Amino acid sequence: MDIIYYECKKAFTSPILIALLLLFASYNILLIVSTSDRREELKVANQLAGKYGVGITDDSMNQFREDLQHDLVKLNEITRTDYSEAELDFFTELQLKEKYYEMANDIDNRYDQIDWEQIGESQINMYRFSGSAADTMKNEYIKLSLRFEEMKDNDEHKMWFFAGDPYKMHSFLFRTIFGHVIFESLIIIALAAALITNYEFENRTHLVAYTTTRGRRLMRDKLAASLLTATTVSVFILILTLGTYFAVFDYSHLWGSSISSALNWEYKLPYVSWWNISFSAFLIWSILLVYASMMLFTAIIFSISIFVKNNYFTFFIFAVFFAVALLLPGFIPASTNLIFIAGYNLSQLVMNPHMFLMGNSSGAMMFKNYEWITICAWTIIVVALSYISLRRFRKQDIH
Amino acid sequence: MIVVKNVSKYYGNFCALNNITLELHNGVYGLLAPNGAGKTTLIKMLATLITPSQGEIVYDGKNIIHMDDEFRALLGYLPQQFGYYNNYSPKQYLLYLAALKGMGRKDSIRIIKELLEKVALSEVGNKKMKKFSGGMIQRVGIAQALLNNPKVLILDEPTAGLDPKERARFRNLLSELARDRLVIVSTHIVSDVESIANEVIMIKHQEVLYKDSVENICNTLAGHVYETTIDYGHLDAFRNRYTVLLEKQESGEMNIRFIHKGAAAEGWLSVTPSLEDVFLYEYRDEIRMEV
Ligand SMILES: Nc1ncnc2c1ncn2[C@@H]1O[C@H](COP(=O)(O)OP(=O)(O)OP(=O)(O)O)[C@@H](O)[C@H]1O
Ligand SMILES: [Mg+2]
Repeated sequence: MDIIYYECKKAFTSPILIALLLLFASYNILLIVSTSDRREELKVANQLAGKYGVGITDDSMNQFREDLQHDLVKLNEITRTDYSEAELDFFTELQLKEKYYEMANDIDNRYDQIDWEQIGESQINMYRFSGSAADTMKNEYIKLSLRFEEMKDNDEHKMWFFAGDPYKMHSFLFRTIFGHVIFESLIIIALAAALITNYEFENRTHLVAYTTTRGRRLMRDKLAASLLTATTVSVFILILTLGTYFAVFDYSHLWGSSISSALNWEYKLPYVSWWNISFSAFLIWSILLVYASMMLFTAIIFSISIFVKNNYFTFFIFAVFFAVALLLPGFIPASTNLIFIAGYNLSQLVMNPHMFLMGNSSGAMMFKNYEWITICAWTIIVVALSYISLRRFRKQDIH
Repeated sequence: MIVVKNVSKYYGNFCALNNITLELHNGVYGLLAPNGAGKTTLIKMLATLITPSQGEIVYDGKNIIHMDDEFRALLGYLPQQFGYYNNYSPKQYLLYLAALKGMGRKDSIRIIKELLEKVALSEVGNKKMKKFSGGMIQRVGIAQALLNNPKVLILDEPTAGLDPKERARFRNLLSELARDRLVIVSTHIVSDVESIANEVIMIKHQEVLYKDSVENICNTLAGHVYETTIDYGHLDAFRNRYTVLLEKQESGEMNIRFIHKGAAAEGWLSVTPSLEDVFLYEYRDEIRMEV
């Protein structure tokens, strides 16, 4: 235990690491605060969920319509032209409410126009899938349309949420904010893991450290310390960033809303998750997926470090590994399933956090079990990799 | 007791040590050989940093590689290049190494205090090591090797960078330590081990040349070492005929110490061989190449 503490300390007393941590944390806070001008407008969705319940039902829509008409009457009673501040707020709010009403009213209509199998066809054409790859894709889109039908039956998508158009809050939170968190954590984690693992070799104290009783087993402690440091770093950045985010944007009545809410329709297609999950569950799953990825990346960096024993090379090799994995599917012929197998990698996974568990994605990412297969497969690979590197290190000559 | 059994070490195709066999008991062993002879290679194998290409090293009948941590728990080791962390104080560094040696924190603090006194570093125990002189670093290295009260103490050129006063202090410390443990000190400085080593091990051409007491090693040259005084002008001719060990200029003439295995000439003074004589004689080819 003592040893792991000493190893972690090496990372947390590194000025670069601390500086980066603070820099990234403040950057995230700034990023969130600077977009808070929409805060007032966004409150409407939360209010609606509070007042009518988060689910959009016929009853609640009737109630909503009555209230709207009531408000319109009130509006018409205002005849003066020098409006007070409160009256101006009332106008905009009413306008927004009407818009939400129209959107909610239009859900069935819009959803009925979506044909996933046809969307699948156009995807296949767009990415020029052929052969077995095209068959796999077709199958997956058949599954997705079944899922979509199920959704239309159980009305899980009929829940209040911030209007995807124009606010795009899902993308902001899960793509922009999570993307930043992932990228920042990754940089610090890579630095920390390489630093901890190579520390003795970089400082030329390896001859002393690895001839102690602990000996080469010290590397195991270093792996534990790297994982612990990575956990601390990710948790710190996540708590600070998400804490700020939810302090600025009020989700109080929307936690239970569906992540596949029809209102959350941002671009050409609505978000369709493979499972019926709420916003809060999706948030938790996203955090867990990101955390698992970070742990796996840490172990990969650890293994690279054992082989090269130099911080800069470790960092460089890891960057290449990350980029190659990301670009790999683009270099594989689109006629076999190999292209999808290549997509099951951590780089692809963490580059699209807003598409976690979603079917309306593209490539392997849209597959139902993409996330957990990727994590499980890479856990096996990484455990094997760590085991091999530790074994190799145990038998290696240390000069 | 450590037994080195027919150990060879190759770096790729290069043979650094060939078929070394040694039996080591408690006491001080001086590992004496010129640069590049393979001292560090032998020591690294004894410290389990590298594994022999052939043969094995056993401690009390057990292969040290298989003993693993059990062996290293008995080991104190000062490498030739003793590295340190710039931003650590000796205390912090020693505390870390004590943890790696499996020592409890309380014990460590007490022992570290004693050791820093022993190597005369008490006053700078909390100063960052980046400000230390080479000799001070080396003394931290010696303290570090002693942390776990090792049964086997291996020091690779421990006196490098120490001034004469510290060298003397170190020699005293070693003789004190050697009473109940096995100490191996590598050096190419004869005076470091001459007075304290129970036995001296010399390596030549990748093999063990001598492993014997200083006296016995010196006796190999008994009756062959002479001193004489010659004219400056005869020096070159003299150098060609005999193995000159030492030349000293004295009022226009040369005072010469040399080796001759045969009848003595007039005016030669037969002297008792020293370890230095043996060293210079045995490694004359290597040494000449270096000059
Ligand atoms: N890692 C290595 N790879 C290849 N050759 C090596 C390596 N380490 C040592 N050698 C070679 O092995 C020989 C013995 O080296 P070693 O360091 O054991 O000598 P040494 O007696 O300790 O010398 P010194 O007094 O300079 O420390 C040298 O010729 C050296 O060049
Ligand atoms: Mg050496």
